[in-house]
Amino acid sequence: MSEKGGKGASLSSKGGSLKGKDDSATKSVKGRKVQFSKEGAFESGISSSLTSLKSGGKGGKGDKVANGGKSSQSKDPHSSDRRIEQKLPENIKCLMDCEAADILQGIQEQMVMLSRDSTVKMPISFDKGLQYAKNNSKYRNPQSTRRVLEPLAKCGLTDSEICVIGNVCPETIDEVFALLPSLKERNVDRQVLKDSLSELAKLRQPM
Amino acid sequence: MFFHIVLERNMQLHPRYFGRNLRENLVSKLMKDVEGTCSGRHGFVVAVTGIENIGKGLIRDGTGFVTFPVKYQCVVFRPFKGEILEAVVTMVNKMGFFAEAGPVQIFVSNHLIPDDMEFQSGDMPNYTTSDGSVKIQKDSEVRLKIIGTRVDATEIFCIGTIKDDFLGVINDPATV
Repeated sequence: MSEKGGKGASLSSKGGSLKGKDDSATKSVKGRKVQFSKEGAFESGISSSLTSLKSGGKGGKGDKVANGGKSSQSKDPHSSDRRIEQKLPENIKCLMDCEAADILQGIQEQMVMLSRDSTVKMPISFDKGLQYAKNNSKYRNPQSTRRVLEPLAKCGLTDSEICVIGNVCPETIDEVFALLPSLKERNVDRQVLKDSLSELAKLRQPM
Repeated sequence: MFFHIVLERNMQLHPRYFGRNLRENLVSKLMKDVEGTCSGRHGFVVAVTGIENIGKGLIRDGTGFVTFPVKYQCVVFRPFKGEILEAVVTMVNKMGFFAEAGPVQIFVSNHLIPDDMEFQSGDMPNYTTSDGSVKIQKDSEVRLKIIGTRVDATEIFCIGTIKDDFLGVINDPATV
């Protein structure tokens, strides 16, 4: 996963290759009316996600989402979620909001020391990211939260699913299955899930 | 969702920066170039957390610039389809409402708002249920699900829904 090219961050190859550039190439290939990109996450292989969405496999929760002209996108949430997780390369680590808040807070404190260089200014996205992470960080101690969620990894949940559970802090198992429909198809040990949720609730910071 | 990833970039450095502080100059140029940018692949680069490796510099033909391949770790924020997250409402209108989650803007169309919520215009436009028990207005916190994303040169824009189970208002600012 590399980002080559001197200026400009994105892979803005005008050659229209599907690799990395989500929007215009896929739009023309599929002739879709919707503007929004098919989620191919971090790798190429967008073509495979396109073909599967085209074949219209129906995801369970696809029914409940209103189809205001964007129906085909929501028809297959499970497999696209799964594909995203499978395609996340190994050197990516999902961060929960509390962990991200810690890291960004540390960087901000360093920035105060570095602010003698007046040209160094933190970009807006950093401030917004830090504020968002702090506001959503529900736990006092990210390490103990990780420890509580470890048994879920052994149950077969992916890193991103564990992070979503950590961020959202669901109260019941039904909530977990409603928010992460892909879990329903896998045989997840409900007892382990229930225990983890109750432990999480104990760690939760009082609002 | 936040991710901690390793990226690689080729940094070009002008000879005026060579010398004792070459590495520092390279790192600060990297941070200036990369922090705050956004790409479709990685999302928003929120902050650079460390430098993993700086490779050997290659002098470019014809100019004195040197290109260094730099591997760095950074925190990125990238929303993806199907993700559940909590956002703060920034604007409400009859087409739907806009919300913000970190650096990302999310739009929830009125088609993806539950049918029992109606738009009420006024000083503080909002969506309210028929019995007035639930209200979505500016600064409300809502839990939503991302159903699509679009990437511009400088930002990511998403479409979300609150029509599923367990989605919707978390915190009503009127009661706070």
